[in-house]
Amino acid sequence: MRAFAIAGLLLGLAFAPLSGQATHLLVVTGLSGEPGYAATFKAASERLLDAAHASWKLADSSVWLLTESGPTQAVAMRGRSSRDGVAAAMSALAQRAAPGDAVLIVLIGHGSGEGPTSRVDLPGPDLTALEYAKLLDRFAKQRVVFVVAASASGDFLPVLAAPQRVIITATKASSERNESLFAEQFAIGLGNGEADADKDGRITALEAFSFARTTVRAAYEGKQRLLTEHAQLDDDGDGKGSADPAAATTGDGAFARQVSFGPPRGSSDPRVAALAAERQRIENDVAALRGRKSSTDSLSYERELERLLLLLAEKTRELRALERSGPP
Amino acid sequence: MRVPQVPILMAVLLASGAGAQSPGTLAAADALWSRGRLAAADSAFSAIIRTDAASRRVATVSLAEIAEQTGQRDRSRLLAGTVTTEYERSGGTGWSATDLVALGRAWVLVSASRPDAVRQALAAFDAAAARDPANVDAPLRAADLLLDKFNAPDAKEGFTAVARRDPANARAQLGLARVMVFEGKPEATDAAEKALALDPTSVSAALLLGRLHLEAERYDTAAALARRAVAEDASAVGGWALLGAIAWLHGDTVAFNRAEIAARAINPNWAEFLAEVAEAAARHRRYGDAARFGAMAVALDSGSTRALAVLATNELRLGQMESGRRHAERAFALDPYNLWQKNTLDLLDAMRSFVTIESPRFRVVAPPQDADFLRLYLVPLLEQAYDTLAVRYGYRPPTPVRLEAFRRHADFSVRTVGLTGLGALGVSFGGVLVMDAPASRPPGEFNYASTAWHELTHTFTLGLSDNRVPRWISEGLSVLEERRTHRGWGADVSPDFLGSFKAGKLRQVSEINEGLVRPRHPSEIGHSYYEASLVCEMIEEQFGVEALRALLRAYRDGKDTPAAFQQVLRITPEVLEQRFAAWLKTKFAVPLANIDPWDGSGPVTGEFVKTLSAAHEAAGTGQLEVARQLFERADKLFPGYAGNDAPAIALAAFDSSNALAAAARLATVTSRNETALDANRVEARLRLRGGDLAGSAAALERLIYIDPINPAVHQDLADLAERLGDWPRVVRERRAIVALGPADRAEARFQLARALAKSGDRTAARREVLQLLEQAPGFEKAQELLLELRAATPSGGGE
Repeated sequence: MRAFAIAGLLLGLAFAPLSGQATHLLVVTGLSGEPGYAATFKAASERLLDAAHASWKLADSSVWLLTESGPTQAVAMRGRSSRDGVAAAMSALAQRAAPGDAVLIVLIGHGSGEGPTSRVDLPGPDLTALEYAKLLDRFAKQRVVFVVAASASGDFLPVLAAPQRVIITATKASSERNESLFAEQFAIGLGNGEADADKDGRITALEAFSFARTTVRAAYEGKQRLLTEHAQLDDDGDGKGSADPAAATTGDGAFARQVSFGPPRGSSDPRVAALAAERQRIENDVAALRGRKSSTDSLSYERELERLLLLLAEKTRELRALERSGPP
Repeated sequence: MRVPQVPILMAVLLASGAGAQSPGTLAAADALWSRGRLAAADSAFSAIIRTDAASRRVATVSLAEIAEQTGQRDRSRLLAGTVTTEYERSGGTGWSATDLVALGRAWVLVSASRPDAVRQALAAFDAAAARDPANVDAPLRAADLLLDKFNAPDAKEGFTAVARRDPANARAQLGLARVMVFEGKPEATDAAEKALALDPTSVSAALLLGRLHLEAERYDTAAALARRAVAEDASAVGGWALLGAIAWLHGDTVAFNRAEIAARAINPNWAEFLAEVAEAAARHRRYGDAARFGAMAVALDSGSTRALAVLATNELRLGQMESGRRHAERAFALDPYNLWQKNTLDLLDAMRSFVTIESPRFRVVAPPQDADFLRLYLVPLLEQAYDTLAVRYGYRPPTPVRLEAFRRHADFSVRTVGLTGLGALGVSFGGVLVMDAPASRPPGEFNYASTAWHELTHTFTLGLSDNRVPRWISEGLSVLEERRTHRGWGADVSPDFLGSFKAGKLRQVSEINEGLVRPRHPSEIGHSYYEASLVCEMIEEQFGVEALRALLRAYRDGKDTPAAFQQVLRITPEVLEQRFAAWLKTKFAVPLANIDPWDGSGPVTGEFVKTLSAAHEAAGTGQLEVARQLFERADKLFPGYAGNDAPAIALAAFDSSNALAAAARLATVTSRNETALDANRVEARLRLRGGDLAGSAAALERLIYIDPINPAVHQDLADLAERLGDWPRVVRERRAIVALGPADRAEARFQLARALAKSGDRTAARREVLQLLEQAPGFEKAQELLLELRAATPSGGGE
């Protein structure tokens, strides 16, 4: 009757779809096996929850945590990370999330198996990669980021890959079975301005992935250990992950670059909103110029780039001055 | 050289007396052959083929081998082919173990043009051993072949199996000695001596031992062994080649020509002779000559894998990368079992992605992830070293000097010796230096700056002596130059070094090479490097730096060590030996009095060691005041001792309430120990706490060479340099942080742009901030800096 108990917890949720551009987070921590891993999984999940609350300002009702021991306190959005619990949570989330919403699902644990039967160890029976894929099919209109932050998780990627869906695995292959550092670093990246590579104040799925990739590698190098986990990302649906999608100009990375978390930015002050819009237009111009770089002579490119960036800097200065001056 | 006639005739007569039966007749022919009577042996084997069906196959393959030995390659293949064809047609029915060994030998000959025949050769030897387990010739030949094909573990197993059955088997012992040479083990000489003692007539054992002595620069012993080999077998091209190599190394043209003529008389295609000379030249660091001889050998025989290999190896050592690759590819195509060629070609492929950094006198080639870092630290250091050494030696080596850095030590090892497992950190081929990249080892394991300085010194000493300086002097000067640059760089005095000296176990000056090449215990290599440096230091102290230069010039002019010492120092090696011992006793008088003689085994003892141990024990049991007094006493018993258990480290802990006093204690260690990781870290913190910002920065500077890829070191140094207003140094450190690939690259680049602006380099600052904003246009701090840079530019626009 465990399934009913979980379902009962979830029945308390409001199932009505929210308006677009909202963010939902589901964190699942699997079987730890020993206290050390339990602490590691807990630390990573707490970091994710902190990011959701502190950085993205998500309401409690948009943040779900399923753990091996189940709810430790009477919080509506918590439950046990059993096979049925995970399936129920994903089903509920699919009903709740509106088209266009960002849905971030993070599995933390020990991976095993190969190919479509790859799994992350859960209390009781596990869900296979193929079963996760079926559950993900319910998120056809949301922007989904599905992260398997577990050892031996590489084979999840080709099974779960689909267009307009970001799949991240901590390892490249199912044979990379050593303990993975990826979960914690990915969680740190989501809540840390250091991961914001373009410094636009929002952390995208791509930026969090790149941050984790860099810091995981640094952690191994710092200890003079051979890197035994090679995270990968797929967001073009071809099922072939990329290790460094941020460096790629085509293929993986383009969609993950667009998916960020938290509420959309905006201001009720029309003057601020106008300046912000102007700034956005200039940033778009910079992006467009960058896209023409290879076909533009370098001198013209640099001059135009500098002109646009100076213009952008002046607008930022105006914007900040206006914000400091307070409402009209 | 005349070959004794009587014993051979006796052997033939004795064999004939046995009734012209096999194996007596074969034994006679073999006797002729083994004594170098090739024409007579040829006739004898031919007669056996006609008259003795049972020995026909063995005789045929022997003829084939003689043909190979005398340069009749087509005849050799033809004869070998008759044996292999016969076997294939007969299916091996009726073939004895001896016949099967002959078959294996035939396949070995065929394998020179058909590499896959190696497998058939091994199968034939195995079949022979299975047919007659008492036959040791088969497993020994198999093991020899395996070793020739770079399979040392299986070869060793084969030789060991025979040696276990018959400890007096000279061929098995010789094989084991060859394996040791392959594995670079210093015990190889003893093993070769043992093999020769078991069979004093063994030409192969004499030649192996001769080569080992030649490598250790014991020319007289090497020459005696070579002469012994050719006296035994006048057709041993290897013997003549060894004599030729020794003659060439001494500039003795007459002797060289005599050896060459003898070799050519045996084999008109004397590529093997030239290849041997080339290998000897390379072992004596005369890489240009080695390539020249290698090229001559290849010109004579373009199918000689040995000649191609020695040519390729030395071209690559000279930095002639394309030509070296071409010859390595050719050698590998001919012998796909050659692990050296395979490793080298794989590495050359990997090096295609390497980055080349050009500077006025250097070309640094490194993996992309190391390139920025090397550009920042290593290249300026090399330029500084070049200037320093050019003044010191009055000599400017040709430029650019090429330095290759490898992140994987195994790659460094392959680049250096073709195989993994080399223990060194760096190697100099003169104009080409090869070393581990800074990030290749755990922090504190090596100091890459001192390593680079050491290797570059070789470039000067090899160049000034035309590559003729003995290894020990070259190493001694390199260590001395390290120490002159930074007191703590290079080897330093240690209790075991002094204990060895006191026990009379330190190598005599004339034998330091032995300590470098064949150490008697693990510490002896380090002792020999340090001892060599002290000899050079004493020469400079007593005769002036010009004496060092003059010694190198004397070597260049062909003088050996006694003659060079006599010409430059006006003393004999014996007098130098005596002076050196007296000099050491004076220089290290205090610690010597407190260290017991040490024979290289067991722990070092003496008053210093006893006191230091007692101090650590007292500290461990909480008797702090007793410990302090003991550490103070130990410090006086061996002033300046900078090992990892130095009293100064403990005393710093006792003084930690006074940060600068504690730092001063630690400086004893950090100034004398080039890899003192923790001591430098602590000293940096203590000096910062005590307000000595410059001292703290100096400790961090030392750490850069010990713990190079630790971002915290560079961050701390950047912050400190900023407080000191040392903006060029801030810029360098900010560049290093960017090069280390931080997670927050945008922030790191912003800090770099800011430092550039502060240092007054607004053009570079503007370029940096524009590149940064191109990727992160919304980065407000960078936008602000861009506006500030525009405001600071008179025209108000771009520069």
